[in-house]
Amino acid sequence: MNHVNTSDWYNSLRQKLESDSSSIEKVSRRSEYWRKSNLDIVSDLVHNTSQIDLSNLKGTCLFEPDLTVLGDIIELASEESDLVSSIMDVIADEESFAKNFFGRLEEKSQKLIPRPLARDNSLSPKVGYALSLSDSFKKPLIIHNKTKTSASNCFQRNLIVIKDDVEATIIETGSNLSVCNSVTEIYLGENAKLNFLDLTGENNIFPKIAHKFCDIAENATFNHFGLRLNTKATRTEIELHLNGHGINTSIANVSLINKRDHFSDENVLVNHNSYECKSRQVFKSVLENDCTSIVRGKIYVAPEAQKTDGYQSSRSLLLSEKSKFLCKPELEIYADDVICSHGSTSSSLDKESLFYLLSRGVLKDKAKEMLITAFISEALDEVEDEGIRSALGHYIGNWTSCFFHE
Amino acid sequence: MLKIDNLKVSLEEEDKQIIKGLSLSINPGEVHAIMGPNGSGKSTLSSVLAGKDGYTVNHGNVKFDGSDLLDAEVEERAALGIFLAFQYPIEIPGVGNMNFLRTALNSQRKTRGQEELNAADFLKLVRSIAKDLEISDEMMKRPVNVGASGGEKKRNEILQMCLLEPRFVILDETDSGLDVDAMKLVSKGVNNFLSSSRSFLVITHYQRLLNYIIPDYVHIMVDGRIVKTGDKKLALHVEETGYKDFLQLGKEKH
Ligand SMILES: Nc1ncnc2c1ncn2[C@@H]1O[C@H](COP(=O)(O)OP(=O)(O)OP(=O)(O)O)[C@@H](O)[C@H]1O
Ligand SMILES: [Mg+2]
Repeated sequence: MNHVNTSDWYNSLRQKLESDSSSIEKVSRRSEYWRKSNLDIVSDLVHNTSQIDLSNLKGTCLFEPDLTVLGDIIELASEESDLVSSIMDVIADEESFAKNFFGRLEEKSQKLIPRPLARDNSLSPKVGYALSLSDSFKKPLIIHNKTKTSASNCFQRNLIVIKDDVEATIIETGSNLSVCNSVTEIYLGENAKLNFLDLTGENNIFPKIAHKFCDIAENATFNHFGLRLNTKATRTEIELHLNGHGINTSIANVSLINKRDHFSDENVLVNHNSYECKSRQVFKSVLENDCTSIVRGKIYVAPEAQKTDGYQSSRSLLLSEKSKFLCKPELEIYADDVICSHGSTSSSLDKESLFYLLSRGVLKDKAKEMLITAFISEALDEVEDEGIRSALGHYIGNWTSCFFHE
Repeated sequence: MLKIDNLKVSLEEEDKQIIKGLSLSINPGEVHAIMGPNGSGKSTLSSVLAGKDGYTVNHGNVKFDGSDLLDAEVEERAALGIFLAFQYPIEIPGVGNMNFLRTALNSQRKTRGQEELNAADFLKLVRSIAKDLEISDEMMKRPVNVGASGGEKKRNEILQMCLLEPRFVILDETDSGLDVDAMKLVSKGVNNFLSSSRSFLVITHYQRLLNYIIPDYVHIMVDGRIVKTGDKKLALHVEETGYKDFLQLGKEKH
């Protein structure tokens, strides 16, 4: 691959990563970590899009974007332009702040779980943003993905550095119109706070794998909310390193999937490396047809991470007998004074509740929608900001009423 | 208004008949009470009238205003004006009470071709009903019935009734679990609601309720049938002697 204009630091990093990459186990059905997944995500086949109405594939557009990722370029709304730079500019800049951050977390992640696709991304990023915040950001930063069909096998690479005491909210919207492999490395300073809402993937028919690796310093907060609306083959990998005490994290995901043979695949690893940290994971999947939702959530507690409070709940609502919820909660605990709980359930729509609503005159589709909304509310409640939460609630409600009816 | 003709109902899952040839005719403005031993099929009858799944009608029919009730969907029956106050109201976590009530009311109005109620008018209406039934604001804000006591749930059922203004109401043991004061409140609510165009089917185990809600007819139900019909004195008789006089009647009819 031809790398125009890359800095020396990137070149030497790239060289090192490339020579190490042969030791990373490839994606295969034989590996337990990938066995149940839809392996379309590794394919670089270019879909024939001539039959597809792309106007329906804009993805979730709840907010006006500040930044648009457009195929191989990014477009900035003017206000934010001094905060955000293109990742391609960043890796070309010898003096960029990124040189202390880029690739570090990807490399670290390989020690725990082989992630060959993240490594491919490090070796040839094509588009993405870099963001270093030293002041709190009052309004949410909206990043809209509008990857073109022509950008086949798109490697999106993002870097987010939030300095000590800084708070920010980032909302990612839109969808990828080609096979997409993204890696986002996130560094949170002491007492910093990041709310990240990943609303990408609505009606997404193109395979996508999105990695998020996050290093978190003491007393910081990281909240992540993911929304999957009829994703065809989307896999998310989130890995958190809780490196200081007093950290709070929440990972929540709502998957609503009802189109034939669609798929969502959420993989989370929370590493409690220090004491008195709290982590929550709440997954809710509503599935119809022969759709599959995979949830793999692991909590690792290091020996020094005393007084860890880890919670994980994965629940699915199966609206069809053919739909599948594959859930693998894992706990690996080496400290003795911890509270860790996990629960997982699959159930169908509660007949008694449905009858109660209908018997009061609520129409069937509406009643179903109300029960689905109720089911996912625990995950939605993880979204702190009331305005965003209610906007999301309405959006999901509308979506639900369009898709889950007889 | 409601005419049940020789109705026989069995469970869908097992071959067990619960209602074994029941006939009952209720005219507008009438209050009918049904009493009967546990397991005689009172709640099953209510469920079948409201349209619950899980039952097979083997015989007979039910006419409501002359048309076949059993053909209608559950939500259609509600819009026709049928209301069942459940013996055991369930909790629905995650569904807000107010949202539920407003959706229910407006769905019914829409089905009937009436205009929907706006948020302000709805709020005013629901608050005044809640006040009469002494249901707290806090209770109204909760998800449907979640964390409510047995008696509070029953009061909620009556609130729904007052709000939805049905024409045919089944009260399935609404009095069970109510304290004396709540019983008076609920009875008052029901009595205010009575009119020449509304009818009630009141299922109860206690004659006491019938002192407040005066029935025109009292039916004794045994083993899936009505074995005796009388006036409110029949309820007093049951209170004193139990059902032993009627159990035999149930067997004779076989
Ligand atoms: N879904 C069901 N599955 C199994 N048995 C049922 C079901 N519904 C009703 N039955 C049986 O049918 C009979 C009548 O029940 P029902 O609840 O109608 O009685 P009831 O007269 O309301 O009694 P109670 O006074 O205790 O409320 C009982 O023997 C009950 O066990
Ligand atoms: Mg009963």
